[in-house]
Amino acid sequence: MIVPFGHVLLVAGILFALGVFCAVVRRNLIMIVLGIEIMLNAVSIVFAGAALRWNNLEGQTFVLFILAVAATEVSVGLAIIVYAFRRTGSFDPSKFNLLR
Amino acid sequence: MTLYGFFFYLISAVVIGATAIAITRRNLVHAVVYLIVSYFGTAMLFYLFGAPLLAALEIIIYAGAIMVLFLFVVMMIRVESYEEVMFPLSQWLPAAIFGLIYMVAAVAMIIETPGTEISLRMLTATPRQFALYVFEHHWFSIEVISLLLLLALVGALHLGTRKGAAQGLSAHDADTRLEGGRSGGPDLDAP
Amino acid sequence: MFFHSVLSPQSSVLLLIPATMLPFAAFLLIFVFTRKCPRLSAWLSIGSVAVSLVCSFVLFGLNLKMTGPIQYSVRLLASSGLDIPFGFLLDPLNLLMIVVVSAVCFLVQVYSLGYMAGDPGFSRYYSFMSLFAWAMLNLTLSLTILQLYIFWELVGLTSYLLIGFWYEKFSATQAGKKAFVMTRAGDAAFFIGFLLLFLHTGNLSITDLNGPAVSAALPPPVLTLSALLIFGGIVGKSAQFPLLTWLPDAMEGPTPVSALLHSATMVAAGVYLFARLFPFLRMSPAAMEVFLAIGTISMLLSSTMAIVSRDIKKVWAYSTISQLGFMIMALGAGGYFAGVFHLTAHAGFKSLLFLCSGVFIHRYGTNDVYELGRLGSRRMIVPTVTIILAAAALSGFPPLSGYFSKEAVVASLAELPNPAWLLAGLAGVFLTAYYSFRLIFILVLPRALEPGPPAGLDPTQTSAGGPNSPIPHAGVETGHESHYWVMAWPLLILTAITVILGFFRNPLKDFLQAGLMAGGAAEGGPFAWSHVAALGLAVAGAVLAWVEFGRSGAKQIGFVERIPPLFRLFSERWYIDHFYGLLVNLVIDRGISYLCYQNDNKVIDRGIDELAEGTVDGGRIVAFLQSGMIQYRLLVIFAVMVLLAIYFFFPVI
Repeated sequence: MIVPFGHVLLVAGILFALGVFCAVVRRNLIMIVLGIEIMLNAVSIVFAGAALRWNNLEGQTFVLFILAVAATEVSVGLAIIVYAFRRTGSFDPSKFNLLR
Repeated sequence: MTLYGFFFYLISAVVIGATAIAITRRNLVHAVVYLIVSYFGTAMLFYLFGAPLLAALEIIIYAGAIMVLFLFVVMMIRVESYEEVMFPLSQWLPAAIFGLIYMVAAVAMIIETPGTEISLRMLTATPRQFALYVFEHHWFSIEVISLLLLLALVGALHLGTRKGAAQGLSAHDADTRLEGGRSGGPDLDAP
Repeated sequence: MFFHSVLSPQSSVLLLIPATMLPFAAFLLIFVFTRKCPRLSAWLSIGSVAVSLVCSFVLFGLNLKMTGPIQYSVRLLASSGLDIPFGFLLDPLNLLMIVVVSAVCFLVQVYSLGYMAGDPGFSRYYSFMSLFAWAMLNLTLSLTILQLYIFWELVGLTSYLLIGFWYEKFSATQAGKKAFVMTRAGDAAFFIGFLLLFLHTGNLSITDLNGPAVSAALPPPVLTLSALLIFGGIVGKSAQFPLLTWLPDAMEGPTPVSALLHSATMVAAGVYLFARLFPFLRMSPAAMEVFLAIGTISMLLSSTMAIVSRDIKKVWAYSTISQLGFMIMALGAGGYFAGVFHLTAHAGFKSLLFLCSGVFIHRYGTNDVYELGRLGSRRMIVPTVTIILAAAALSGFPPLSGYFSKEAVVASLAELPNPAWLLAGLAGVFLTAYYSFRLIFILVLPRALEPGPPAGLDPTQTSAGGPNSPIPHAGVETGHESHYWVMAWPLLILTAITVILGFFRNPLKDFLQAGLMAGGAAEGGPFAWSHVAALGLAVAGAVLAWVEFGRSGAKQIGFVERIPPLFRLFSERWYIDHFYGLLVNLVIDRGISYLCYQNDNKVIDRGIDELAEGTVDGGRIVAFLQSGMIQYRLLVIFAVMVLLAIYFFFPVI
């Protein structure tokens, strides 16, 4: 008996909100990607906790997949950021507004 | 409250605290390091939830590979000064408002859902059991993920190459390249 | 629409229609078609009023022995719960009034042929005169209070048009505006009063209101309140305290207008209303006390103002207010016949006074009495003699009509338990005689030197040079003689009426009493002490005026003028005008108008402006989302996700 499942959800929710905050408020491309990572982390916690709650290994499997996808996405994302930095010289997302 | 419950709350506090500090750092390296602390905490949480393999994988892949990749990129691109505008109000206020709404909604949902008062049991899935399960039920997804990783590799390579450039990048290079220099990608040259 | 007469059908309706509608037809014709032909306009107008006069006389003769009122009505305003007929009411009071009204209208219009000759607005003048005749006749013949109110307002409108007749003069337009606004204030009270009655009884017919059934059904507070409010209308229209300052200013209009409207008929409409609703208003003794008080105050106040005035028309204007107060005192004391008889007699001699003054003003071009005296007005025989007779009638000397009517009023005042009213009435008699004869002596026995108080001290004096003289035109001097007899005939006829009306007192009394539902006040014999006192005081007033103004050695300075504070008080009209000016300035202009203006600007206009600006700002905010900055889009994704979660999770929304 550890904790009620609701508490796990709450912790993960707070983490998720922090991740969104980082992604939306920080004016730096790298911090946006970092925020995404935090969000993914939060979701992993939820899945792991759910796997424990329902006694099903699917949750943990999914965490595995999240881990893999996060790796993928970070590598490609950082490559894009570096490329963008090379072209415009700044990390500020407000400079990248050609699609306005 | 049991001992493990106490551990849970302690580790959650560490995780949330580290994350909160991480997102408010101006220095990117500091942010990344705090986040690594947060991931260590998450790994402990996984261990508490009975997924030791995932805990290990979290540290190896997440904290060990992804965050290190971040550090590489941050250190390679030497930014001379902190030029980021910290927390402009026009972004900060709506985010805070929606965050608040989200928190209220989340708490309400958690309270309303009937199944959330149930305490979790202590169980453990050994790596052997976990691996058997994964490869038995989701082998196809594993293949797809490996393909995905291959794609990421190809994409990163493609995006990263420049004609005849092997040295480190810096802001000066970017400036001198803006005018007419062709960079690595074929169709990404905007006029 | 169906015709429905209450008592036995008479042929009176055939006479009523032309009597009341012809002047309106004349007004329309003159106003639309014959503006360029002054003579035709004048004949149209005089012709229609002559027809009305003839019809009035015939009606009066036909119905001498009537036993009760006759009504002709048409259902005009009928909807659920609301049923107000329109039509004519004939009873002795009415018949007397239409004879008086049409006679004075006719005589004044004939007189105006001479007075207004050559004026560029001649046709316009006659059109307004016809309009007034129509409105006044219909007012007196109204069946319901609503109809009366409609014509009441029309009469006020005509008064405004005629006072401001010479509209190029700023003071005339101001005076017209002032008259209209002040009477309007009274009319508002009147409207609320009869609306109250209507809400409580659902019935506005005059005969029904005077009957016992309706009045018994009203609770006494409502009765008193509606009586007081209706009296508010009377205060406005008859220029009683506190709404009395418009009448002296109304002297800016031509003199025949003053003779017709502001002495004999329009201001008498208020007293007529009082007499009309006399049985109804009598049901509330408290209200009658108030009426008595207001009449007394007006009478005394305006008499004091008349003592010090230099302008001949203003003296008669104050006198009108005073006499109207006297009539209201009589009616308030319960003397129905006294009030009505004084109204009739007053119409005769007051219009005569104005018309005589008009002859002088027309000839010499100034309103100032001292000037007129010195310029030799006594050389014109007919006006001088008639003005002396009329002033005597006003003061109440026998055997003129004024004596009999004042006697009746004083008798009804003597009936009251409180002797203060009688004393006030007697004081009024004294003052009336004093100021009338002061004027006569200044006019007829002038002094060569500049007499009287310094001209600068009296603000009621109009400047020499005659604002009341018509717009100058060629040939004014030679034309006077031919106009003289046109203007003189009405004077003679009115004088004749003044002299002989007194002897018709008893037949008139029987005639009027028959029409009244309940009996009027009884009177003492002609030698009761109050009558002796009244006559004595009138003589005393005349003697005092002689001592101060008429004697060969007199300096023509009145006793009031020797007391400068009193003199200032009276000549400033007891500062009532100042009070009104302050009221309008502080309360209305700076208070209410300012608030309304601020509300208009800051609240209403600003509201719309803020709405517009808010829309623009809102658009600007929303445009952020499209600025190409990915973080806003991320935020939107997040927000929508939260909202969707809420929506799906909580089924209530």
